[in-house]
Amino acid sequence: MKDSATPLFAGDAPPVPNASAPTAGGTSAGHFDELKGEGAQMWRHFFETLGADDQGDLNQRSASLARQIRDNGVTYNVYADEGGPQRPWSLDLFPLIISPESWQHIETGVKQRMKVLHSVMADVYGPQRLLAKGLLPSALVHGHPGYLRAMHGVDPVGGTHLHVAAFDLARGPDGNWWVVSQRTQAPSGLGYLLENRLAVSRLFPKAFESMHVQRLAGTYRTLVESLKSMSPAGDDAHIALLTPGPYNETYFEHAYLARYLGLTLVEGGDLTVRDQHLYLKTLKGLVPVHGLLKRVDDRFLDPLELWADSTLGVPGLLQAIRMGNVLVANAPGTAFLESPALLGFLPALSRHLLGEDLSLPALPTWWCGERSAMESALPQLREYAIKPTYPGSVIHGDFDAVLARTLSTREVDEWAGRIVRQSDDFTLQTYLPASQIPTWTAAESGGHVAMRSVILRVFAVSDGPQSWRVLPGGLARVAGATADMASMQRGGSSADVWVMTHDAIDTTTLLKPTTTPGAIAHRKRLVTSRAAENLYWLGRYTERAENLIRLARITLEWLHGEEQNSEPLLEWLSTMAITNTLVLPGVPSAAQARRVFERSLIASLGSTELATSVGYNLRALRMAASSVRERLSQEHWSIINQVEEQFSEQAAPLTRTGEYSAMDALKLLKTASDHMAAITGAQTDRMTRDDGWRLLSAGRHIERLGFLANSLATGFETRSVLSEGGFEAMIALFDSTITFHAQYQQSRDVAALLDLLVLDRDNPRSLGWVAQTLRGRLSKLADSPPDQMSALSQAVPDPQAWELALLCEADTDNHYPALLELLGQCRQAAFTLSDEIGALYFTHSALPKHSVGA
Amino acid sequence: MQLQILHETRYDYVPAVETAQHMAYLQPLSNARQQLMRHTLVVIPAPAQQTTTPDVFGNMRCFFSLQSAHEQLIVLSDSLVVTSARETPASAVSWEAVRERFRYTAGGAFDAACEFVFTSPYVPRHPDFLDYARLSFGVGVPLMDAARDLMSRIHTDFVYESQSTQVNTPALEALAQRKGVCQDFAHIMLACLRAMGLAARYVSGYLLTEPPPGQPRMTGSDASHAWVSVYIPDLPQDSPWCDFDPTNDRCGWGSPGEEYVTLAIGRDYADVSPIRGVIHGGAHHTLTVGVTVRPVESGMQTQTQSQSQSQSQDAII
Repeated sequence: MKDSATPLFAGDAPPVPNASAPTAGGTSAGHFDELKGEGAQMWRHFFETLGADDQGDLNQRSASLARQIRDNGVTYNVYADEGGPQRPWSLDLFPLIISPESWQHIETGVKQRMKVLHSVMADVYGPQRLLAKGLLPSALVHGHPGYLRAMHGVDPVGGTHLHVAAFDLARGPDGNWWVVSQRTQAPSGLGYLLENRLAVSRLFPKAFESMHVQRLAGTYRTLVESLKSMSPAGDDAHIALLTPGPYNETYFEHAYLARYLGLTLVEGGDLTVRDQHLYLKTLKGLVPVHGLLKRVDDRFLDPLELWADSTLGVPGLLQAIRMGNVLVANAPGTAFLESPALLGFLPALSRHLLGEDLSLPALPTWWCGERSAMESALPQLREYAIKPTYPGSVIHGDFDAVLARTLSTREVDEWAGRIVRQSDDFTLQTYLPASQIPTWTAAESGGHVAMRSVILRVFAVSDGPQSWRVLPGGLARVAGATADMASMQRGGSSADVWVMTHDAIDTTTLLKPTTTPGAIAHRKRLVTSRAAENLYWLGRYTERAENLIRLARITLEWLHGEEQNSEPLLEWLSTMAITNTLVLPGVPSAAQARRVFERSLIASLGSTELATSVGYNLRALRMAASSVRERLSQEHWSIINQVEEQFSEQAAPLTRTGEYSAMDALKLLKTASDHMAAITGAQTDRMTRDDGWRLLSAGRHIERLGFLANSLATGFETRSVLSEGGFEAMIALFDSTITFHAQYQQSRDVAALLDLLVLDRDNPRSLGWVAQTLRGRLSKLADSPPDQMSALSQAVPDPQAWELALLCEADTDNHYPALLELLGQCRQAAFTLSDEIGALYFTHSALPKHSVGA
Repeated sequence: MQLQILHETRYDYVPAVETAQHMAYLQPLSNARQQLMRHTLVVIPAPAQQTTTPDVFGNMRCFFSLQSAHEQLIVLSDSLVVTSARETPASAVSWEAVRERFRYTAGGAFDAACEFVFTSPYVPRHPDFLDYARLSFGVGVPLMDAARDLMSRIHTDFVYESQSTQVNTPALEALAQRKGVCQDFAHIMLACLRAMGLAARYVSGYLLTEPPPGQPRMTGSDASHAWVSVYIPDLPQDSPWCDFDPTNDRCGWGSPGEEYVTLAIGRDYADVSPIRGVIHGGAHHTLTVGVTVRPVESGMQTQTQSQSQSQSQDAII
């Protein structure tokens, strides 16, 4: 068909949806074709403005999109486990375009549903008249684990139970939109859809500008403002976003959203309830929190009253909510609204509560616990999707939804049997083939458009007490090539949603037009104790990784050097490799068996289990960074990921081939070293100098102090540093080769060495510089009272008291007692400081919580 | 009968607990059969904050929090109640008729007791409960008789063994072992009744026990108790619940007897456990519970005993 006369769709090029082979092109039978609906005009306009008439251009944009997603670190942690892979978010090139007419219909319908759901909440947690009137079955409330008895009778502050809800919609073959399900506990998507919008609008700037696409920022701003105004502290409220933490599958979005909305990102362990008020634990003490936008499921919220084993919540939170001291969005206890069974009761509830029919219908849904519904639905079981009434419940029959039409006759009978036996657990929903949108499949030669089924998730957000608006956009979830249901976990993808309007575009941004000094003071970022601890360890692991890489390089280089290595140098290298766990304990020294030693060092490089060598530390670095992801610049985070990924990828072949090539290992270490320099750059140049940064820096310097003091002491103990090679290796390990030779040419004088590596307070690698910097950092930390801080910073030896002449004094045996004593003090200081910092700033949140019961 | 109940709970922690939050269900209910004359709850060390509010079932629960380090926590509950026994009225309603009251029909009649028909955390759904229960529920049998029969069967078939189960032993395990403590018997009976589609609730309370002849009453030798309350709609409307104690094979309208003190009602143990809490620090703890129930002559001053012999962990009979 050539009626759609756009460059892309015209001519004889194959990627025309309507003209190409059915597998690559047209919609599957029975699905609505979005290109042909009332929005056909807009789709045509979209493709015209692309100004692209060759597929190469779309391939390029496709590649650029994938790169952007990867570089921005947008992930969806599929298996959500500690070591599990973070999968990049999947985003399609083309947006789903929604006509103003369709949108108006959706918007009105969603707002109306929001009102009904809120009234249901208010009734269920109040007089329960809807149950008494037989409009709502007790099994879907009292029998639902998501109905929280602890919340009964609680009137949430601000008078609103629901602040955010997601509705999944599908468009049927007749072109009408239907509600498929709703999410209220902790709906995801508000962050991903923003990222989708930024990425896709950037790729199609011309189309985006010319097509009158509704903007999103104004709605997000409304949400935050309304949460503040309804919270007990009003417009000055401190609102935080409560996340289950980095192992949650959608953690990326929590961090992203918190940053975008200007909320503090917190985990349960960051918060504490005192005197029935909620507080954030920070380096500077307890800071009040007046509102939580929660992304933690209800049952985890308060181990005191809800699930006792939860470590994600805050004990006492429910009591703080009850007393009206904190707003939680949404109020705990909405999970029963998510049951698909409820959809079947909403039409009657709407008529009763609002006196209106629902304008946006849901797919016909039957709860089997109502005998007449079950009896009339069972004979046509094949026409339905069978869904669990209590999804995720541990005390009910939970199962994955199935499409009965895909089952054999025998299987259908088996399902029917289960339904009759335990009818409450089952809900039947009419199957609907969802409409299809064009997606771009890039290929080396060409690429093509394929039509894929789409589910649209839209969001209603609070704009005041018991009032909501609908975000003019959404998250389109696109089914994979074979799947009929869109699921990210099953290879689906997502698409941006462009909602068209005939009206003016709201160009609000989240930047406040007028910023008061008060607001600026408020914007200073709080450093939570947990974040502080992770930043401290981020600093230590960065420094440790850097040191280990340098040590490994020097060791391998010297073992392969031109010159004959002296015994003391080999002994020093071996001792250093063992104390810094570059080789496994028990490996013969380099002097004993040079090749065995070298192989062991190379084999350990990438190991993340037995040895704690470079690979292990890069991984630890990444874990620490992932816990404070929201505080790191994009570049910082992506290099940390990149170095870990590349290193583990390239270290594996070193041992696999059995070659243990030192040249390859050195190449690998060189690359890693370059990356580490970039990470250091990001840490020194791209982070705000707040207390969190001070702790990161303190972590680095404590690690450096310990490492350098130990290296130097070992160098003198083994006498290695007195040999020609050992002397050079030492200044190389202190990264001071160039400086040294610039100042002292070819001299190998101990006094010159100690002057540069110990005393010089301009050389960032000298012990004197490290000690002085550390004292400075510690004394500025957390506005602590002077007496407390002086104790901490005075634990570091004062470089002003160090004297070169004294340190150079040696006995006839080439033993340097004064130097070794000072180095011993430095090592001890590094050790005790770490404990003291922990006790002072972290442990009040690091102690594990236990539940007790009588 | 006038009864005084002293219920002492003591936790010893190593190392010290830094902050703690607790929730206690230790205040006896007031109802038609039981009058609460006096109740005090003393927490040592003194909590930073203490609030008592009713829960969804009308039980009084007390929240308290400690915000400074402590190595020991003592919770002393002292209550005085007057209980009365009433003759159980005749009831003829069949168990099937009661079950049908809970079936949902759009716009149909609603019976609030149906909240207690559903499965709950300690009362799981399993065909084994149905199999065990069925024998007592013949066609057309009055619910009162069926429940009494079920109670007696549990009393006969099960061995009371104080160390056999933990507080959180799943009812299903106790059913398979045919042994347990009062709490297990209550959960099993609840699971059987609910499997038949009937409404039943968990009662936490105390029971006055008589010391062996010639022996004085030992302070702290009693324990918490638990039994079951079944909804029987043709009993008088002010209290359509009849209590069944499978541990002692006793039943009665509103309470199994005059020596029983009702503390709290819920769907199961989880709703009304005497004390639960979240502590910060204190990796190890030792729990000691002592309960004393004793009759008090009407009009006589009661004495509060501060010393009590302690029992081990297993304080529930």
